[in-house]
Amino acid sequence: VYQVFETVAKKYDVMNDSMTLGIHRVWKDLLIHKMNPCPGTLLLDVAGGTGDIAFRFINYVRSVRQRQLQRKLKQHQNLSWQEIFESYQKDKFNSLGDSQVVVCDINREMLKVGKQKAQHLGYSEGLSWVLGNAEELPFDDDQFDVYTIAFGIRNVTRIDLALQEAYRVLKPGGRFLCLEFSHVSNPLLSRLYDLYSFQVIPVLGEVIAGDWKSYQYLVESIRQFPPQEELKAMIEDAGFFKVDYENLNFGIVAIHSGFKL
Amino acid sequence: VRCQHFPPLRALQASAALRRASDEHKKEPLTSSSQQHFDSPPAGHQPDQKPQGPHPSYTGQGGQESEDYESEEQLQHRILTAALEFVPEHGWTAEAIAEGAKTLGLSVAAAGLFHSDGSELILHFVSECNTKLSELLEKEQKLVQLGEAEKKPIDEFLRDAVEARLRMLIPYIEKWPQALSVLLLPRNIPSSLNLLTSMIDNIWHYAGDQSTDFNWYTRRAVLTGIYNTTELVMMQDSSPGFEDTWRFLENRVADAMTMSNTASQVQSTGEAVVQGLMGAAVTVSNAETNKAVR
Repeated sequence: VYQVFETVAKKYDVMNDSMTLGIHRVWKDLLIHKMNPCPGTLLLDVAGGTGDIAFRFINYVRSVRQRQLQRKLKQHQNLSWQEIFESYQKDKFNSLGDSQVVVCDINREMLKVGKQKAQHLGYSEGLSWVLGNAEELPFDDDQFDVYTIAFGIRNVTRIDLALQEAYRVLKPGGRFLCLEFSHVSNPLLSRLYDLYSFQVIPVLGEVIAGDWKSYQYLVESIRQFPPQEELKAMIEDAGFFKVDYENLNFGIVAIHSGFKL
Repeated sequence: VRCQHFPPLRALQASAALRRASDEHKKEPLTSSSQQHFDSPPAGHQPDQKPQGPHPSYTGQGGQESEDYESEEQLQHRILTAALEFVPEHGWTAEAIAEGAKTLGLSVAAAGLFHSDGSELILHFVSECNTKLSELLEKEQKLVQLGEAEKKPIDEFLRDAVEARLRMLIPYIEKWPQALSVLLLPRNIPSSLNLLTSMIDNIWHYAGDQSTDFNWYTRRAVLTGIYNTTELVMMQDSSPGFEDTWRFLENRVADAMTMSNTASQVQSTGEAVVQGLMGAAVTVSNAETNKAVR
């Protein structure tokens, strides 16, 4: 798995766009929307190498915070100019409202690409990049409000260990969110999907990234991955409550959610 | 045979936030073989300052052997109750729920347990208010039965009951129009209508059988009309102590009493009242969305 992502790291984003025809952006947006984080949330994004989830999280929290500040200012209608100026100053240093993201990945190359992207796009505050293994996270217990793993959990050898680690590092009341390729139940769609996956994707892999094998592996790992109900049961076994899943695009992708209660 | 709330596998996990009822009662946990989850106290458990009522156990056998973790629903109830404190500041939103979860020692992510538009919070609040009203009316009835209080004439009874119920809105009155518009969302209408009708039926139940002038259907419609229109008046009332609202209420109840002369009269008025309140409700929700857009 490690070597796959080493070679893949640099072309990762480009490949994502071409394979999924750009829809992966929508999927990730939906994930953050479902999370609906409020300012002050601590997010751990595992296997989040190139930072897609992290950046979306920061954007979301920033806009929520903006609205919060606007509302507060509207209530303070009778302030003097001096007071308004001071409150602007104070809040400017808190545009994220103490929210933070820790991006954790097993692969150094992916983290490097992520850091470069962050710099390039201008994300400076609220981001940390940590090298770590999902089956054995380098964090203490009860640390994070939300744990996300987007398109990463199928690459984990022991999914149950990863789920247990997720449970461990989450605060009580914390949320586990998993975005992953899943099982398409509709037979017609499933056949089209198979056709696309096995014929088109490895070819794209060869043309764009010069790597047929990795993308063959990718498509096969998707087929091997447990379907929605099974993953739901595994998440419940790890101790999560109110476990549920939402199918996107008829089951091509599913978002699983659970709470540490 | 023990009946367990959770499937056996789950019961072995030490729950982080779902509290053991045994904590409350300071019981000695039995070391029966299937009770391994008593080993470690739940992490992040916040000792509550105020006394809690006993959590129901889910077995038939006797409290000590029970699966006495509280259920997810009970935890959700606790979060929503805690969230009410933050409604005046944040409105009926996921933010208020997040703040409520924080006070219970839970992560703000627990607000994800609920819909992001605060529907459950509002429904929870309405349900709690209805329960409080029930208890109030029950107490009053007991006093009358014991001979310690006079039985009120029907109009006074209705007036007092509606006033008592509406007074519960006073701490949240600023954000209540928002709540009303959320309750009118198609998704919420079954539940909100259910709560409304059961509250109205409850009031009539305690009003006793003085109300023989009305037939059952019109009774509901009439009192629903009185309640809803008074509620809307209250939203716009800026008089001290809401005295304009109570006067409006008095007049409406008096109207209802004089209307009770002919059954057909009441029926047609009831229909008109229902139409009126539908129109009023739409006006409120439009006003609320306009305000939000501005």
